Amino acid sequence: MSLTIIQLKMKPYWFLLVTITLLTMQTGIARPATYYDYKSLRKHLVSLAKQDPNLVRVDSIAQSIDKRKVWVVEVGKGAEDNRKKRPSILVLAGIEGNDLTGSSIAVSWLEQLIKQFRTDHKITELLETTTIYVIPRLNPDAAEHFFIEPKFETSANNKPVDADHDGLMDEDGPEDLNEDGLITWMRVEDKEGDYILDPVDKRLLLKADNLKGEVGAWRYLSEGIDNDHDEEWNEDGLGGVNFNRNFPYNYEFFASDAGVHQVSEAQTRALAEFVIEHPNIGIIITYGAADNLLKTPESAPDPDRRKPMISIDEKDLGYYKVMGEIYREAIGLNKELENTSCPGTFSDWMYFHRGRLSLASRPWSPSVAVEISKSAEEEEKDEQEKTGDNDEKKKNADYKKDKDKRNENERKELKWFDEHAPRAFIKWQSIEHPDFPGRNVEIGGYAPYSLTNPPANMVEEVVGRHTDFLTTVIQRLPRIGIRRVETKHLGQGTYDIEIHVENTGFLPTSLAQGQTTREVYPTRLVMDLDDEHFLSGTRITTLPVIPGSGGMVEARYIIYAPNRKKIDFEIISMLAGQVEGTINLEKSR
Amino acid sequence: MWKVFIMKHRSKIRTYIVFFVSLYLVVTLNVKADAQKVNRKPKASNPADHSFPALGASDERKVEVAWNRFYDHAGMGGILARLHKAFPELTRLYSIGKSVQGRDIWCIEVTSHNVGDSDRKPGMYIDGNIHGNEVQGGEVVAYTAWYLCHQYGRLEKVTALLDRCVFYLVPTINPDARDFWFHAAYSSRSSRTGLEPTDDDRDGLMDEDDYDDLDGDGVITQMRIKDLFGRYKPHPNYPDYLMVRVNPDERGQYSLLGGEGIDNDGDGRINEDRRGGYDMNRNWAFDWQPNYVQYGAKEYPFSQPETRAVADFVLSRPNIAAAHSYHNSGGLILRGPGREGGEMSEQDERALRLISERGEKILPYYRSIAIWDDLYTVWGGELDWFYGGRGILTFSNELWTSKNLYKTPDAPSDEQQAEFVEYVLMGDGLIPWREYDHPTYGKIEIGGRRKEWGRIPPSFLLEEELHRNMAFTLYHADMMPLLKIHEIAVEKLEENLYKIWVTIENQRLIPTRTGQDITHHISPPDIVSLKGNDIKVLSAGRVTDKYFKRVQPVKRRPERVELNSIGGMDSAIVQFVAEGKGSFTITVDSAKGGVLTKNQLLP
Repeated sequence: MSLTIIQLKMKPYWFLLVTITLLTMQTGIARPATYYDYKSLRKHLVSLAKQDPNLVRVDSIAQSIDKRKVWVVEVGKGAEDNRKKRPSILVLAGIEGNDLTGSSIAVSWLEQLIKQFRTDHKITELLETTTIYVIPRLNPDAAEHFFIEPKFETSANNKPVDADHDGLMDEDGPEDLNEDGLITWMRVEDKEGDYILDPVDKRLLLKADNLKGEVGAWRYLSEGIDNDHDEEWNEDGLGGVNFNRNFPYNYEFFASDAGVHQVSEAQTRALAEFVIEHPNIGIIITYGAADNLLKTPESAPDPDRRKPMISIDEKDLGYYKVMGEIYREAIGLNKELENTSCPGTFSDWMYFHRGRLSLASRPWSPSVAVEISKSAEEEEKDEQEKTGDNDEKKKNADYKKDKDKRNENERKELKWFDEHAPRAFIKWQSIEHPDFPGRNVEIGGYAPYSLTNPPANMVEEVVGRHTDFLTTVIQRLPRIGIRRVETKHLGQGTYDIEIHVENTGFLPTSLAQGQTTREVYPTRLVMDLDDEHFLSGTRITTLPVIPGSGGMVEARYIIYAPNRKKIDFEIISMLAGQVEGTINLEKSR
Repeated sequence: MWKVFIMKHRSKIRTYIVFFVSLYLVVTLNVKADAQKVNRKPKASNPADHSFPALGASDERKVEVAWNRFYDHAGMGGILARLHKAFPELTRLYSIGKSVQGRDIWCIEVTSHNVGDSDRKPGMYIDGNIHGNEVQGGEVVAYTAWYLCHQYGRLEKVTALLDRCVFYLVPTINPDARDFWFHAAYSSRSSRTGLEPTDDDRDGLMDEDDYDDLDGDGVITQMRIKDLFGRYKPHPNYPDYLMVRVNPDERGQYSLLGGEGIDNDGDGRINEDRRGGYDMNRNWAFDWQPNYVQYGAKEYPFSQPETRAVADFVLSRPNIAAAHSYHNSGGLILRGPGREGGEMSEQDERALRLISERGEKILPYYRSIAIWDDLYTVWGGELDWFYGGRGILTFSNELWTSKNLYKTPDAPSDEQQAEFVEYVLMGDGLIPWREYDHPTYGKIEIGGRRKEWGRIPPSFLLEEELHRNMAFTLYHADMMPLLKIHEIAVEKLEENLYKIWVTIENQRLIPTRTGQDITHHISPPDIVSLKGNDIKVLSAGRVTDKYFKRVQPVKRRPERVELNSIGGMDSAIVQFVAEGKGSFTITVDSAKGGVLTKNQLLP
C-alpha cells in the first residue's frame, strides 16, 4: 500500500496536468465553459488581454506559497487615471480553493463582455464609463488539487498549521487507500462509532440518536490512516488558511482555518490592499461558501456609533433585497432558500467595515440544484394537476409529518445525483485497513468537489446564468451627473448660482453603512474660483448622499466675479464617478 | 676718596643697606605671594579618573551615555551599535523591519550567548514609543540594554538573569514619528501617529493641512486672540503659564484658537489633516474594531509595516513568555483587557496583579490598573494582542507622572506646576506670548509651553525614571518560568521493568503556559519524553495525585507525554513504565520554559 503523503505525489502527476491542459487547448475553438487549472487560466487570461490591450489588462497582485500568481483582470476603456475614477465593480472568485465554478463564471463573463464590447452598443458605452476588476482565483494552490491525483478537496492554502495542537505540523493527512485517484470517505463498522446507516438509503449515514434507542455502529471518517497514532484520522493534514475566513469582520480568532490573525496571508493582504487602493469599487461579488442572495439577509437599525454593526443597516436592506430577487430569477429559483454566513469573509468585511454593497454567492449547491429541478417539475405538474383531488394531497401531507425527517435533504440530494450525475457518489467498497485489522472498512461516498461544484455537463448552463446576473449588476452602480446649472445675475458682477447634481445610476452615492463607517467619502463639488469671490458658499462643498434613480441635490452660491466669463467646476464622488461642468456668467438677468 | 667717604658714614650706610634690602625683600616677597594667590588652580585631570560609583548603574562604563538626555533614531541606533561592539558575547543587533519611511526598527537581543541556546531561553520582549511623541520609552529600553550589559558578571542577579533568559529590546517601534517629534516643530501631544499619509478630512488629499510653525521658533505652541467675547484670560499670578476661564459674569479677554497653523488647503478649517492620522496602538489583531468604532484602527489589523514587523517577530519567537511596552504619561502600570468583557483568565489576572504589586513598590506614585476598568476602552491595543492573541503576560507602563514634581501622592494643581516651572526650572519650558499677523485671524498671539513640558521628565528626574521602570521589567522577566528536573525516581518492578517518576519543577511565578495559552492552544504543549537505546516505554502519564499515586495514562505514544502547563511555583510529575536496561534520557521541551535533558542509568 502506498502511504506517500499527497504533497509528494504532486510532482509525478505534473506531466498529466500539462497533457490535459494541452488537450483542452487544442479542442477549444468554440470553448465551452469549463474548469481551469492554473496554467490554462493564465493562458486564457493572457489571450483575452491580447485581443484588445486597450480594453483588457492582466496583472498579478500576489504570489501563493507554491509560487503561483494571483491574477487581476481590469476591463475598461481609457487611461488608467480615468479608469480609477469611474464607478466600478469587483468580481472575486476562487477565494475558497474548492470554488472552481466561480472562476469559470468570472472568466466566461470576461469573454462575454469583450465580445459584446464590439457588438452591443450598450456594453460598449458601459465599458467606456465603468471599470471592471476581476480576480478569478485568489487561492490557486488549493484549486490545483482538483487537477492532480489523488483529487482532494480543500478550501485552504498550504500554510503549515498544527490543527490538533500536539506540537507537530501537518503530520496526519489523508491517503488514497483504494487508489482510485480520489480522497473520499471511510466508514468503519465499529461499536465505538457514532453513526448508523440511514434505514431508507443505506448509502448514507445518520448520527445515532440514543433518545430513539439507536446504538452507534459505524465510524465515519475521511479516507486515510492514522499516521501519528493518536487515534484521530487525518486530523492534521496539509494546510492551511481559508482566505475567506481571514478578514476582520466577525473574524474567528483561533479557528483552525482562520489564520494566525486577520489578513495574515500574502493573498488576503494583497486583496485588502487592492480594494483600499481602488476606492471606486462600489459593488463586490464574491463567489464562495457564504451566500447573501438566496434570501434577503437580516437587518437592524443603526445602533450607537461606538457599537459595531452586526446586521445589515435597515436603510441598505432594499438594495440587498432587489439584488437577491434579480439573482434568484437569473439562476432559475422561484423561492427563497436559506442563506449561509461564515465568519471572517471578505464579503462581510467589504460591507460592514468598508461600506460597499457586497454580494456573496455560492454559485452552485446540491440544495439549489434540487430546488431548481423541483420547481421545473412542479411547473409541469401544475399544468396537469389543475383538476386534481385535494384529499389525496392532504393524506400525503399527514403521512410525511410522521416520517423521520433526518437526512431528508441528503436523500433528496443523493436522488438528484443518481438522476443527474451518478458518478458523483462513489459506491462503498470494502478494503483492508491497517488501523482496523479484521474490521469491515468501506471506502466511498461523495467524490471530492461533487458537493461544491456542478457536474461537468452542467457547468456551462450554471455559468451562463451567473454571467447574466453579473451583466445586470454592473448596470446598478451609482453614477453622478449634472442635471442643470442656473445662473442669475444679481447686478454688478454678482451672481446667484444653483448647480443641480443628480445620480442617474441605481445605487445611492453611498450606502448608509458607507456613511457609518466613514469609508465612503462625501461627494465634493469643487469650484475653480478663489476664495475671495464667494459671498456665500465655499470653494469646496461637500454634498449629502444622492439617492439613485434620478435623485438630486442642489448647491447654491452667491458669487462676486465681475471679470469672469465662466467658472469651471468638478464634482467628485468616490463611487459614482466624476464629472466636470462650466458655469457661464452672463450679465443679462 | 671713596674709602674716606665710606669709612666716615659706615654706620649710616649699613643702616641704609639693611633698610633697602629689607624693603626689597618685603616688597618682592609680598608681590610673589600675591601672584601665587591669583594663579592657583586644580589640575584639569579627567574627573572620570577620580570618580566613585554611586549604587545603581555600573562603575565601569564601556559605553558612555548621558542618561539625562533624549536621543533621536540615529542616536538610539548609535547607542545600540556601541553596546553591541563593546559586548559582542552578550548582544545581537538586527532590524526586525522597516517603518513607512524606511527607517529600520532595531532590536538588540541581550543574553549571555555563551550559556545555553539563546533561542530556547524564556524571552522577554520590551518595546517603546509606539506613539511617536511618547519618546522616553525609547530611553528606558536602551537604558535596560546598557544596564544589563554593564552589570553582567558584576551583579549575581543580572548574571543569572542573562544566563537563563533572553531580552528582545526594541527602543522604538515608531522611528519615523520619533524623529519627527525631535526634529520638526511639534507639541508634546502631536506626532502620536505613524507617518503614513492619511486623508483625515476625507477630501481626497492626504496630510495637506498640518500644523505650521508660524513664528519659526521650532515649536508648535498655541494661538490666542484678544477678544472681548472670548471666555479666557491669563492667570493673574502666572500669566505666561496659564490661561484660565473668566468668571461667568466677567467680561472676556481672549479666545483660544488651538495649535499654531493656517488653513493650508483653503477648506475653511485649520490643521484638520495633519501628518499621519491614526493610532498604531489600535492596529493589533486581538479585539480589533474598525475606525468607526475605534479611532485610529486603520483598515485592518497589522496594516502598518511597524506593527506587522513586531507581530511577525513575536510569532517567529515562541519562547517569548513576557512582554512590556512603554507609553507616557500618567504613572500607570497597565494590564489588559482593553475592553469590558475582554478575555482574561482568573489565574493570569492573579499573576499579573502579583507582579504589578511589586511594580507599585518599585515605582513610587505609579498605580497598577486594568485598562478598560480604570482608563478607557481600547480596541486592538498592543498588549491585548500579546496577551489575548499570544497568551503572553504583558504590561504597558505609562511613564512619568506630575506627582513626581513635588513627590506627592496627589497630582499638583496647575498653579503648583506653574510654580515648579518658575522656581525649579527657572522658567525653562515656557515660550512667552508674542504677537503674530495671521492670514485668517489677523493680529493674534502665539506662545505657551515647550513640547518637553508635561509628558516627559526634566533632565534631573529622567535617570530615575529609566532605572526604576527597568527594575520593574527585570522583576517581571525574573518571574518567567524557570524549569528544573527536580528528581528522577526509579523503582524496579521486576527484572528489566521499571517505574520512573520524573518531577519537573517551575521555580517562578509564571506558568509555562498561561490560562489564555491553554484555552486557545496557542503554544504547543510541554512535552516530557523518555528515550533509551535499550528501553521501550510501555505506559506513561501525568501523575495527578502523588500520594494516592493517581496517574492519567496517555492513550498512545507513551514515550511522549504532553503537559498542558507547569504551573507557577509548582511541579509536575510524569510516570513512565519502561522495560529494558541501560541509560535513558529525559527531555522536557517547553516552548516558554526551555529545553532540559537529563541522563540516568537504570539500576
